[in-house]
Amino acid sequence: MGPLAVNDIISSNTNFFLAFVIGIGFGFVLEQCGFSSSRKLAGLFYGYDMVVLKVFFTGGVTAMLGLLFFSLFGWVDLNLVYVNPTFLTSAIIGGLIMGAGFIMGGFCPGTSFCGAAIGKLDAMIFIVGLFIGVYFFAFGYPLFETLYKSAPMGSPKISTMLDLSDGVFAFILVVIALGMFYVSEWIEKKFPREEY
Amino acid sequence: MKPLHYLTLVLLILALIIALVPQNTTRPYKLTADQLLAEIRTGTQFISPDEVADKIIQKDPSIQLIDVRNPREFDMFSLPGAINIPLQDILSENNFDVLNQGTKMNILYSNGSTEANEAWLLTRQLGYQNNYVLHGGLNYWMETILNPSQPGNIAANDEIARYDFRKAASMALGGGAVSAIVPASDQGAAKPKPGVVPVKKKKKASGGC
Repeated sequence: MGPLAVNDIISSNTNFFLAFVIGIGFGFVLEQCGFSSSRKLAGLFYGYDMVVLKVFFTGGVTAMLGLLFFSLFGWVDLNLVYVNPTFLTSAIIGGLIMGAGFIMGGFCPGTSFCGAAIGKLDAMIFIVGLFIGVYFFAFGYPLFETLYKSAPMGSPKISTMLDLSDGVFAFILVVIALGMFYVSEWIEKKFPREEY
Repeated sequence: MKPLHYLTLVLLILALIIALVPQNTTRPYKLTADQLLAEIRTGTQFISPDEVADKIIQKDPSIQLIDVRNPREFDMFSLPGAINIPLQDILSENNFDVLNQGTKMNILYSNGSTEANEAWLLTRQLGYQNNYVLHGGLNYWMETILNPSQPGNIAANDEIARYDFRKAASMALGGGAVSAIVPASDQGAAKPKPGVVPVKKKKKASGGC
């Protein structure tokens, strides 16, 4: 069984088609969650709306449990699932830039396209900025290359670093996620803001 | 109950299950028992010493000899160009690229056929291709290639031809000189006699049909 290895089980055209369908589904869900509103996204940083955190943690935890169960049933061979290699320095710096852009612009790359799709001007401006950033990085790549490729770690797993089984780590992560859900409920009550 | 409580309940139960069940670390077997049995019965994994000798002498670049005996035995004697992957390391990640590939023909050998065949069985079960077993192992190799016995006077032509080939191969591969070493490497008293099948015709009689 899976994963659907490209050029092995499915063709690359089928791969693009599946990506297209999944992309539409992803955009639809983002929009329906209200992620096309930058106020909702900014709410995460001001504490009046924690839905972003809840949605992404639910998504992550669901995918994690799903993959582990699929592997348990022998439906997916986790050894064949591609994991993006980790480059620690660029991950930290990229995370900081992304976070700063998130607060300033009120969107993340995915939600900016959702916002643009329903006609929000600020989202469209955000996309222009996004492309400027992409070009800046692409043409300045020789400048950033050493930084970009520093601290390569392969594809590590936190569970192996902590010497835990994947299942036990998944359980711990689920408990953390649930704890964050309750904490964010509490934060939302503490910093209410009804007018947005 | 609030939705968050439902979510808590469901996630906790699922996470508890996944934490308690043993991790599915077994590599999925690619062949069913029936398929494997069929392959074992036909014996397609075996490759005769003559064929291997021919490939070694021709310096066929498409073969890779793999010695599955322990490193000590490998150091004492190995076939030309062989690499050493002891049987206990056959599942190691380091050997994955050698054993599971689509270009070279891996020929596994051990003293007899048993260990090489066990290695083949494991790799075949994992779905790897291009792995073969030297028929009869090194013991049979000694007997047939390095110290071929002369066929009788009334032997069939192809038997004599085979003897001539083996004699030539023995010279090319340094027969005689090594024959004294290998028995010494087998320190076990009861060295399993290789299953010396009375040499049958190597290739089916052509023609007919």
